[in-house]
Amino acid sequence: MSSPQPFAAAAAPTAALRSFEAQWLARQSESPRREPCSARDALSALRAEAMGRFLRLGLPTTRDESWRYTNLRRLAAESFIDAPRAPAASVEAADPLDSWRIAERLATMHMVNGFPMPPAQADAGARGNGALKHIEINYLRDFSRVNPDLVARHLSPLSDADGARWGLLNTALFTDGLYLKISGNLTAPLVIVHTAAADRPGTIAYPRVIVDAAPGSNATIIEHHVQHGEWTPLCNSATQLALGQDAAIEHYRIFATGSGCTHIDSLDVHQQRGSRCKQFTIALGGGLVRASLDAHLNEPGACLDSYSLLVGHEERHVDCVNIVTHRAANTRSQQTARSIAAGTSRVIFNSKVVVEAGAVQAQSQQSCRGLLLSDSAEIDSRPQLEIRADEVKCAHGATTGRLDPDMLFYMLSRGLDRGTAQSLLIYAFLADVLTGMSLNSARSAIEDALIAQLPDSQVLRSFR
Amino acid sequence: MLLKISELSARVAGKEILKGINLEVEAGEVHAIMGPNGSGKSTLAQVLAGREDYEVTGGSVLFEGRDLLTLPPEERARAGLFLGFQYPVEIPGVNNVYLLKAALNAKRKAAGEPEVDAYEFLALIKQKMKLMQMSETFLTRGVNEGFSGGEKKRNEVLQMLVLEPKLAILDETDSGLDIDALKVVSTGVNSLRDSKRAVVLVTHYQRLLDYIVPDRVHVLSAGRILKSGDRSLALELERRGYDWVKESKVA
Repeated sequence: MSSPQPFAAAAAPTAALRSFEAQWLARQSESPRREPCSARDALSALRAEAMGRFLRLGLPTTRDESWRYTNLRRLAAESFIDAPRAPAASVEAADPLDSWRIAERLATMHMVNGFPMPPAQADAGARGNGALKHIEINYLRDFSRVNPDLVARHLSPLSDADGARWGLLNTALFTDGLYLKISGNLTAPLVIVHTAAADRPGTIAYPRVIVDAAPGSNATIIEHHVQHGEWTPLCNSATQLALGQDAAIEHYRIFATGSGCTHIDSLDVHQQRGSRCKQFTIALGGGLVRASLDAHLNEPGACLDSYSLLVGHEERHVDCVNIVTHRAANTRSQQTARSIAAGTSRVIFNSKVVVEAGAVQAQSQQSCRGLLLSDSAEIDSRPQLEIRADEVKCAHGATTGRLDPDMLFYMLSRGLDRGTAQSLLIYAFLADVLTGMSLNSARSAIEDALIAQLPDSQVLRSFR
Repeated sequence: MLLKISELSARVAGKEILKGINLEVEAGEVHAIMGPNGSGKSTLAQVLAGREDYEVTGGSVLFEGRDLLTLPPEERARAGLFLGFQYPVEIPGVNNVYLLKAALNAKRKAAGEPEVDAYEFLALIKQKMKLMQMSETFLTRGVNEGFSGGEKKRNEVLQMLVLEPKLAILDETDSGLDIDALKVVSTGVNSLRDSKRAVVLVTHYQRLLDYIVPDRVHVLSAGRILKSGDRSLALELERRGYDWVKESKVA
């Protein structure tokens, strides 16, 4: 696999697959060293391997277990070219986070279609008081040249699982991104604004973020996916969180693009001894959002709290897939998912907890609740357990229903409008996720965006 | 006439529960509706409040001369009708105070009044809470969330005091209360009594009527009011049991 030759695909390649292969070939010929993709460094070899595997395995279809609810056939028939680097100025003007009041952020990094916009630097205030001494912000493209082995380690091992397929493609084709090294206690959140902006249909972006949290470090990271302008590329984003011993990360990924956007996001979490990860997946926008979480509790004492707040609005399709693997003793995971579906939307939440042999005393909890707000909407929740160890404590539960008629009648009997009563109940339904957020400003920003999608939003605002 | 119920019949889950109720309540009066389990007392209360899965099959209800049955529940509430629930539902995540404030503002809006001032509202609610001997922690909790049976009933009366309805229907507000709580609840209800308002107490027991003295007492059995009288009827019921009414009606 050392020459830029087409890879042999197992099945008849779709138009999308051929276009991805063309992107790969173009990247090889654009290589600044004018050398064929070689196995000279671990990263190049890994990426070539990723491309080869992707072409061999092909795009996932509804026959693949983790894709049974999301059909990409139409997408597979399209061809894609790289989305452009948009001009920074126009994008900054559209930064929605100013209105999101996350004022105390330590640094804001803008990425447009996966390309970091200069300066990927800190806010002036933060820089002045030395708060940034515990963070190193690197462009992935440059960083990869200097540290290919390190980057390759973060992107390894490659997986053939159908849930990881688009992540494989991102690994092969990302051109730039961010590598964040956190070495201490960050006093304020880091905000990454991912802007999707295309000048035509048929483009694709590969945003990539790697967060390397050193032992004992502590940070809050917000990835906010938004749209600028009418068109968006197909977003195939991927993020790695690597938590060293006793590190603590609170990570938010917020999908807030427009209804025309298709977004496939892969999040991988690797946790070492005693580390704590609190992860929030918030789907508030997009036409089709597929968000996967693949978490590995690799060493004893690692602990993961995953929260998913999935809002099906109008015709939106949200497909969230979590796989949490307990690989060591005394690891703990908890997953809380709240899905609501209105209009003709569809929300899917699948979670699987795997307890490997030897992961004794592992504890896991899965709580999935769905709330249907219309007859044409659909929610599918499926918590699963795969246990190969003894002495574990695993619980799961899933319920989906409509608004409780007794609660509704109680509120109506007190004179509340039906719309207000319904909105309050929806809001209350989501409270388990919202109250899990340690960051008040993020919580209130997310509440604002959420409320805007509920009926009678004006009344709800007055309650806060 | 504040409330005029004529030949009201209603069905719940296909079963005829109310079979021709007649009842008239004037402003300023307190009525007690007593009767054995399953006689239709709670159904009557729920039908008056507008519960949608209870199907009215005949008769009419006028509230201040308006046709009550055509109004949705929220409009009945804004018009001045209040139902104190037998089993108040817990609504985790919706704050007690928010609900109460929204309820009061909905009523004020319907009456063309401005929204209540936040500080005045808090002062009002604290004053009423004191009367009902409720703890301040109530302010931060979800609606009835984790409340004991007695706390839930106090909360119902608190809501009534804040909303100042023209007609309060209290569905077994006395059940599950110890004697001290019963006194507190009664004090609350009595504080609302005046010439413009009326209260309908639905109860099993005479005990409540020692504290809230009714003007009229009605005995409901098998979906009909079998007997009406003054306070002494309740005392007689206590002595002789409901079978006495059923038998005397048959005889």
